[in-house]
Amino acid sequence: MSDALFTISGLCVDVPGRRLLDGLDLTLPRGQVVALIGHNGSGKSTLLKVLARQVAASVGEVRFQDRPLADWLPRDYARALAFMPQTTPPAEGMTVRELVALGRYPWHGALGRFGPQDHAAVSAALAECAITALADRLVDTLSGGERQRVWLAMMVAQEAGALLLDEPISALDIAHQVEVLSLVRRMCHEQNRSAIVVLHEVNMAARFCDHIVALKGGKLILQGTPSDLMTPEALARIYGLPMQVLHRADGGQVAIPA
Amino acid sequence: MNFKTVIALLLAAGVAVALWGAAAWQLLPSGWPALSFDPDAMNLQQILLAFGLMPRGVIALVAGAALGLSGALLQAVLRNPVADPTTLGISSGAQLALVMATIFAPGLLEHGRWPVALAGAGMATAIVMGIGARRAFAPVTMVIAGMLVGMTTSAIATAITLARGEYLLSLVIWNGGSLVQQDWSGVRSLALVLVIGGVGALLLARPLRVLSLGAAGASALGMNVANIRLAVIALAVLLAGSVSAELGLIGFVGLAAPALARSLGARTMGQVLLIAPLIGALILSVCDGIVLTLAGATGEMFPTGALTGLIGGPLLIWLLPRLRGSTPPGTETAEGIAPRLERPARLLAGLLVIALLLTVLLVWIGRVPQGWAVLDWDSFRAFLPLRLPRIVAAAAVGALLAMAGAILQRLTANPLASPEVLGVSGGATIGYVVTLFTVATPGLGVQTFGTMVGGALALVLVATFARRRDMPAERVLLAGIAVSAMAAAFLSAVMATGSTQSWQVLAWLSGSSSVVGFGQAIALAALAVLVLIGARMTRRWLQILPLGPEVGSGLGLPLDKARIGLIALAGIATGAATVLVGPVSFVGLMAPHVSRRIGFARAQDHVAGSALIGALLMIAADFGARMAGFPYELPLGLFASLLGAPWLIWLMMRMKR
Repeated sequence: MSDALFTISGLCVDVPGRRLLDGLDLTLPRGQVVALIGHNGSGKSTLLKVLARQVAASVGEVRFQDRPLADWLPRDYARALAFMPQTTPPAEGMTVRELVALGRYPWHGALGRFGPQDHAAVSAALAECAITALADRLVDTLSGGERQRVWLAMMVAQEAGALLLDEPISALDIAHQVEVLSLVRRMCHEQNRSAIVVLHEVNMAARFCDHIVALKGGKLILQGTPSDLMTPEALARIYGLPMQVLHRADGGQVAIPA
Repeated sequence: MNFKTVIALLLAAGVAVALWGAAAWQLLPSGWPALSFDPDAMNLQQILLAFGLMPRGVIALVAGAALGLSGALLQAVLRNPVADPTTLGISSGAQLALVMATIFAPGLLEHGRWPVALAGAGMATAIVMGIGARRAFAPVTMVIAGMLVGMTTSAIATAITLARGEYLLSLVIWNGGSLVQQDWSGVRSLALVLVIGGVGALLLARPLRVLSLGAAGASALGMNVANIRLAVIALAVLLAGSVSAELGLIGFVGLAAPALARSLGARTMGQVLLIAPLIGALILSVCDGIVLTLAGATGEMFPTGALTGLIGGPLLIWLLPRLRGSTPPGTETAEGIAPRLERPARLLAGLLVIALLLTVLLVWIGRVPQGWAVLDWDSFRAFLPLRLPRIVAAAAVGALLAMAGAILQRLTANPLASPEVLGVSGGATIGYVVTLFTVATPGLGVQTFGTMVGGALALVLVATFARRRDMPAERVLLAGIAVSAMAAAFLSAVMATGSTQSWQVLAWLSGSSSVVGFGQAIALAALAVLVLIGARMTRRWLQILPLGPEVGSGLGLPLDKARIGLIALAGIATGAATVLVGPVSFVGLMAPHVSRRIGFARAQDHVAGSALIGALLMIAADFGARMAGFPYELPLGLFASLLGAPWLIWLMMRMKR
C-alpha cells in the first residue's frame, strides 16, 4: 500500500451553469490531520462531499486506498471512512449511547447481532471522547460542544481509519473549538487515524493540522505544511486580502488582516 | 418576455377562441342575436348563445384570471412555488361552508353564496396560516398542512352529504367546478372582484418585491411585514373564494399560471403579477373549450374543474424538482423534547392487554332500542360471529395505518407525513372507482384487487421519486400529494355523473366495517403482524434515517434500498387498510404522535406502540360509529376522521417554532 489516503486526478464537479471543482489533481496523505481551507465557494465542501461519496464526480477519478470510489461497497466504505455533516441533525429522542451505537451499523448491518465486540467499541468510543458520564442523557439536551463530541464518538465507534469533518467548529465558542480540534488531533496521532477537516479559521488550521490544502475557485492553489501557509503572500493568494503574520514568542504564528 | 413567449400566448388564445367558436357555431344558424340582448326578440338558440355560451366563455376568462392572480399573490407572499388556493385548502374551506349552510342554515344563503363561501375560505386559510406561521412558512409543511385541512374539510362535507341521505346533485356539481351559466350576473360580480384584485395587486406589487427578501430582510427595511402579509393573503382569499362561490372548485389554475409565467421568462414581481392572470385566463378558457368540444350538447353537467384538477397533478410533479431547497433547517422538525420511557416493554404489554380486554368488552355490551344492554351468555354466542370480525378488522386496520404512518414519519423526518399524503390512498381510490365503472357487478374480491392495483401504481410513482438521490425525502411526500390531488379531481368528475356507482363510491369513501367477514378480518390481522415483523427487521434503518441522508450514507446505509423497501412496506399496509375504511382516517397521523408523546423513543418501540394505539383508536371509532347513530351505522373511516381532525389541528397549532 502506498502512503496516500486519497488520490485525486483530474476531478471536476459541475452543477447546471457552474463548475464547482475544476481539474483537481491532489494526493491526500495518510495518518495526518489535513485541513481544507479556502474562501466561500472555493469548492472545499464540495470536495469533501465527493470524498464522502455524496456528490459524484463529473469528470476525473478519485481513489481511496488505491481503489476507485465507485468500486467500494457502501458498508465497506463506511467501515473505512466516517463522515460528519456540517450541521448535525437533531437526534430526536435518542440517548448518547444509542447515537454512538449507530456507528456500529457498518459492522453489524440491518439484522446482525449487536455483540460484545460492538459493546466494547461503543464503550471505548465514549471513553476516548470523554463522554462516558453523559451516556444516558438525551442528545438533544446537550450543549453544542458536548454534542459535537458525541458525534465524534459515533465516528470513533465506526472504527474507521479515516474521518471527514465538514466545518466541525463553526458553531462553537473558542474554548470548545480548541477542545474539539485537540480531540481530533489526538484521535489521529494516538490511534493512527487520518482526518480531513474543512475549516474556515486559518489560525486554527495552522495550529492543529499537519497538512494544509487550499482551494480557490475550484482549483488547487496551495498545498503544504502550516508554515508554508502562514506567509503573507500565500494568505493573500488564498483569500485575496492583504494579511499580516505575527510571530509569537513560542514560535507559533498568527495571521490577521493587514 | 421574448418573441417566442408572445407567439405561445397568442397560439393559446387562438385555440381558446377556436374551441369556443366551434361550440357557438352549432347555435349560429339562426344568426347573431341583436346587441341589446332582449330575450323577447330572440329564438331559443339565440338565447342559449347570449345567456349561456357567451357568459360562459367570458367567465372562463375572468375566473381564470382571478385564480391566476390569487396563485401569484400567494406564491409571492409565502415565497413558495407550490402555493395556490387548492394546495392551501382555501377552496375546500369554501366548499364545506357552503355544504353546511345548504343543509343546516339555508337562510344564510339568502344573500347569495358569497358571504358563506368567503367565510369558509377565510377560516380554512386562517388555520393553515396558523400552522405555517409556527414553522416559518416552510414550503413543504405549508402544502402538507393545506392538503390535510383540505382533506379534513372535504371528509366532513362528505359526511354531511351522506348523513342527510339526499343526493345533493347541485352541490356535487358545484364541487366539481362547472362553468355553466344562465345569465351575465356571475360575470359581472366576478369581473368586479377581479378589478378590485387587480388594483390591490398593483398597490401591493412594491411591498411584495421587498418581501421577497424574506421577512427579516423586509422588516429591516422598515416594512410592517405582518400587515402586508395579511393584506396580500386577504386579497388572494377574496379572489379564490369568490371564484369558489360562483363556480365551485377549480383546482390548480392558480398553481399553473404563475409557474408557466415564470418559465416563460417573467422575472420581476410586476411581470409575474401581470402575466399570471393572463395565462390563468387562457388555461381555464382552453380547458372549458375542451370540455365543450368533447362533451358537446350532453356535456352541460361535466365540470370543467375536474379537468383542471387532472392537469394539476402532473404539473405538481413536474414542478417538484425545480423547487429550491428553501426549507430553513430545523423548521420541519418535531415539537420540543418528548419524554422517554425507561421500560417501554411494560407499557407495550399493558396496551396489548387493554386492547384485548376492550375487544371482549365491546362484543359484550351494545345498544338496544330500550337503551344499553350487557349480553347474556346465549346472545353473546349469537353475536360473537357478527361483532368479533369487525372489531378485529377495525383493530388490524388501525394498526396497519398507524405503522405506515410511523414508518413514513421516520423515513422523511417529517412529523406531518402520513399514509394519506403518500398518495397510496388516492391511488387506491382511483383503482376502486375504475373497477366499479369498468367491471359489471364486481364482487368484493375484484373490488379489493382493483383497489390494491391502484394503490400499488401510486406507490410505484412515489418510489420512482424516492430513487432520486438528490430528492429530499420530504419532497417525496409532495409527489404523493400530487397523486391525491389527481384522485380528488377524478372523483369529482365521477360524482358529477350522478350514476348509481357514484353513490357506491361516496359510501366507500367514508369507509365501513359492517361487511367484513371472518376470513377478511383474519387476513388483515395477519398482515398487521407481518408488517410489524417487517418494521422490527428494519428497525436500524428506522433509527438512522431520521438523521438525514448524509449521516445515513456515511454509515453505509443502502439509502435507495431502504427508502424503497420502507415505502413499499408502508404502501402495502395502507393499501390493505384503505380497502376497508376508505382513504381518509388520520389514524396514520395521530397514532405515531401519541406513541411518541407517551415516550416510545426507540424505533422498534415507536412502531409497536403506534400499532397498538392505532388499533385502540380504531376499536373506539368502530364502537362510536355503531353506537352514535343507533340503529343506523355511521361510516367507520368518517367517524375516525371526525375524532382525528380536531386533534390534528390542535397538534399542528401548538408545535413549537
